[in-house]
Order: sequence, then structure tokens, then C-alpha cells
Amino acid sequence: MPQTRPNRTLGPRHDEFWAGCANGELRLQRCAACGVVAWPVTSACEECGSPDLVFETLSGRGTMTSWCTFHYDYYRGVLPLPHDTVLVELEEGPQFISNPFNLDPKDMKVGMPVKVNFIDCEDAGGVFRLPVFERA
Amino acid sequence: MSEYGSVVMPPSTRELSRKAAIVGIGETDYKQDYMAARAKAPGYEPPTTESLTITAFERALADAGLKREDIDGLTVSFMYAGPSPAETAAFLGLKPRYQKVVAGIMAGPLPQVCAAIEAGECDTVVMVYAAASRAIGRKFGGVRADDNPDKGTPAGYYYYHPWGWSAPAAYWAMVWNRYRDAYGVTEADLGSVAMQFRKNAMANPDAIMQAPMTIEDYLASRYVVAPMHLFDMCLVNDGAVCLIVRRADLAKDMPHAPVEVAGWGEAKIKTKKLEGIIRDRMRPQFQESARQALEMAGMDLKDIQHFEGYDSSSMHLINHLEGHGFVAPGEGLDFFKSGQAAVGGSLPINTAGGMLSGAYMHGWNHVVEVTRQLRHEAGARQVKDVQISMSSLAQTDQVHPLIFTRGAE
Repeated sequence: MPQTRPNRTLGPRHDEFWAGCANGELRLQRCAACGVVAWPVTSACEECGSPDLVFETLSGRGTMTSWCTFHYDYYRGVLPLPHDTVLVELEEGPQFISNPFNLDPKDMKVGMPVKVNFIDCEDAGGVFRLPVFERA
Repeated sequence: MSEYGSVVMPPSTRELSRKAAIVGIGETDYKQDYMAARAKAPGYEPPTTESLTITAFERALADAGLKREDIDGLTVSFMYAGPSPAETAAFLGLKPRYQKVVAGIMAGPLPQVCAAIEAGECDTVVMVYAAASRAIGRKFGGVRADDNPDKGTPAGYYYYHPWGWSAPAAYWAMVWNRYRDAYGVTEADLGSVAMQFRKNAMANPDAIMQAPMTIEDYLASRYVVAPMHLFDMCLVNDGAVCLIVRRADLAKDMPHAPVEVAGWGEAKIKTKKLEGIIRDRMRPQFQESARQALEMAGMDLKDIQHFEGYDSSSMHLINHLEGHGFVAPGEGLDFFKSGQAAVGGSLPINTAGGMLSGAYMHGWNHVVEVTRQLRHEAGARQVKDVQISMSSLAQTDQVHPLIFTRGAE
């Protein structure tokens, strides 16, 4: 059973990110001008302003920057409460907000190695695979 | 945070230091209005931007001992839209030669008014701010109607919705988890901030929260985004503040000692916002903006005798305290636990209860408290003989400190 989630951002460029996820790949944009990897999906590099961004498949590895657990129902019943979130520093640079997978907050440490996995979800746009992070 | 408008700060130059002073203050009845909004008795009418503004303005005018014809400038800083400066002037009965919308949140508006006064555009300015946050049902997270994927890098949270990550509390919760990990502190240690501000609020009859808070109360308060408790997060209430700011040489021989605007600074996170807030706790921005403000005022950080920091959360107040350099990173909670942040301590902080226990007025109430302290009219919570105060507003991407001095009467 796919989990119901709040809606994704869809449209040009954004769809390419989600297509990567469907394939089990974490694909983000790298700036052809300065080499910085962008996240979230954008139309111009926030470092140098170049619109020349090319999607590439990342390693899916990173380290734990931080985490927190939502108790307040900001999404009005869409998500179970409480629910855990993590911030992961990807090997390629960006900070990536996600959810932990098979990982309890009490076992989390700043800097612990993690790797991407994908879980089945659905929203108003249909079924999709969501990148989440587990202990590496 | 586009709803706050963009803050355009004049340069932090010595020429603009102490050229204008706060000579009048007015606030609405925060506590009474909050209680009424919660009770919603039959026939209850929520306040409007206009009704709140009129109350704060009339009180400020009386406080300054001025008449409407003495006012030649007007700025409006309404948080969630409101009447134009011309409409506001009309319902307040003013005929200003200078009128302007200035970004709602402190500290940007005050430096802009000081610069306008120094430029000769006006001499005596009424600054009105109002936020009917509760009345309009303002929410601070979740999905919003104006979420827009085509605005480039998002300023807000919408992109993270599929993972259920949203709301300011989530920033501070992630900052706090890193802080706990780095310094080996506990939730009870963080509770010292909320408890101190509650104590301060209890010495301020206008503060919304008046019941004593024990560490047990703090730990028992529900989580909003764990590990941030409800009592770590600021209030949401309706209210308005009016400041009357006057050219410094005209600010003498008035009912109260003038409170001069001596310095200001500004620093923003330009890229990599999540790193800047959650990993770096905005330290570079705190350091840079304080350097500008202190240099403008001709002061050193150790000259500051009283501090009002933007306590959107207890954790963020610690970011201010450590970021500006009052204490070293990791020492902020000890500073609270040892009583140094209390009135009578080495640096009293948020003496009116701040936004955690006083009122959530987007930094404007912090400036009102600075004014009361520097006038030496703060009653039971007065910081003895205070001459120099600093306020500091920091959201999740920008920092704006202000330095104030008690002027000659």
C-alpha cells in the first residue's frame, strides 16, 4: 500500500527529479558553469545565476545534519503523527530534507553515515517513489 | 517570508547615529485582547488592523505629549495587509508631508525613519505597526494557497511537503538537536530560557502569560516539533505598536527622556539557507550585523547593558546570544541557568517577557521595552541605571540589530 503524502511540486524540471526517483535514482541538477549541485530543483544556479543546469545521478550517500519529529498536525490529517524528518548532507553538497527509513530518532547522531532508499507513496498527482534515508 | 516585505536598510554610518530619538510609545492591551480572543464570548468582535492601530497611536501621542498637528511623518507596517499610508493618515487625523509603507517586521522600519529625518523629509514621525495574527487565523506551516513552484529557490517550505517538513518550529527543532549533540545539554537546560522569560513577564502587568512556570510545567508542555515544546515557541496574538520618532534636537524637554537610535546593522544569508540556519546558526550574520551596529554607535559589545532578542523560539534566542558574541558557542544555556540573563544579572534579556511570554509583536514590543528601560520607567523589572540597550531581530535568513542610548532630557 503506498503511503499518502502531501502533494509534490510538479512541472518542468521537477518531473525529471521524480522520474529519477521512480527509477531508484537520486537525480539532482548540477550547474554546468560552477559545478554546484542545486536542491531544491531550480531554474537558475543560486551560486552563480547560470541557467545551465544538468541533471545527474548522485551517489545517494550522505551524513546526518539533524532531525526532528512533528507532533503538530500541520498537514491536517494527511500524515500520521508523530512523524520523523531528517536533514541529510549529501556527499555532493546539498542539504536534503527527508524522512528516516528503519531509523529511530534515539539512534541518530550528527554526522552518522546514511544512504538513500525509496518508498512507495501517492498524492494528487498519482503514485510515486519518495527518497528516504537509512543507516549506511 | 515575502509577506513581511523586503527590508531596505540605510547604511550604518556614524553620520546617522543619534540623529533621531523615540519620544512616544503606545501599545494595545495584549493580555486583555488575547484573553478575549480565546474566550470568544457571545458577541465577541475580533479586533481589526484599524482598531488596533488607533488604540496604539492615541496612547503614543498622549505618551509623547504631542498634538496631531506636531506630526509631519507617518509610516505604516501592517503585517498582513491593511490600509495605505494615505488611508491611515485619514483615519488617524494626520496630515503628514512624509508617508511611507515600511516592511512590517522590526528592525528595518526604524533606521529608514531615522534616515528620512536626517535627510530633512520630516521631523516627527508616527510609526504604526499592527498584526491581527489571531483574528485572521494566521497559520505558520502546512500547505498554503500561494505556494508557487516557479519562483526559483523557495523562500518557504513548500518544496518539502512530500516529506511532511514545514513550519518555523522545524528549523529550531533541528538546530536544537544539533546543539544538544554538540554540547551535551538537555531539554531541562533549554527550559531555563522559557522559565526566565515567564518570570520576566510576571513582573510586567501587560504581558500575556502571567502564571508561574516550573521546570515540570515546561517538560510537560506538549511537543510542537520535537524536541521543541509548546513553551519554546512564541505566542500568537493580535496587537499594535506605535512609536513616535523625532529629530534628536527637538526631542528634548519632553515628558520622557528621549531614547536615541545610535546604531543599526544588517546581514542576510544569500545562498544555502538550510546550512546557514541549521548548521551555522546564522553566526556569520549575527557577527557581521553586530559589528556594523556597534561601529556606527561607536561602542563595544561589552558596553551593552540590556538586550532584547527576537525570541521566535527559545533556541533562536540562544542563537542571538551566542551569535552576537555575548557568550561563546555552547555557553548560552549556562548563562540563563546561572541567572546572568535576569534583571540584576550581567546582561538582562527580554525583560518584559519577550515573545515567548510577553507578546508576539514581531520585534516592535522589544523596542518598546528598550524605551521603557532607557527611560527608567520599567517598574519592578527596571535594569538599574541602564544607559545602553541593544535589540536584535533575526528571522531564518537575516539579522538586524539596533543599539539605543538614553539621551539628555
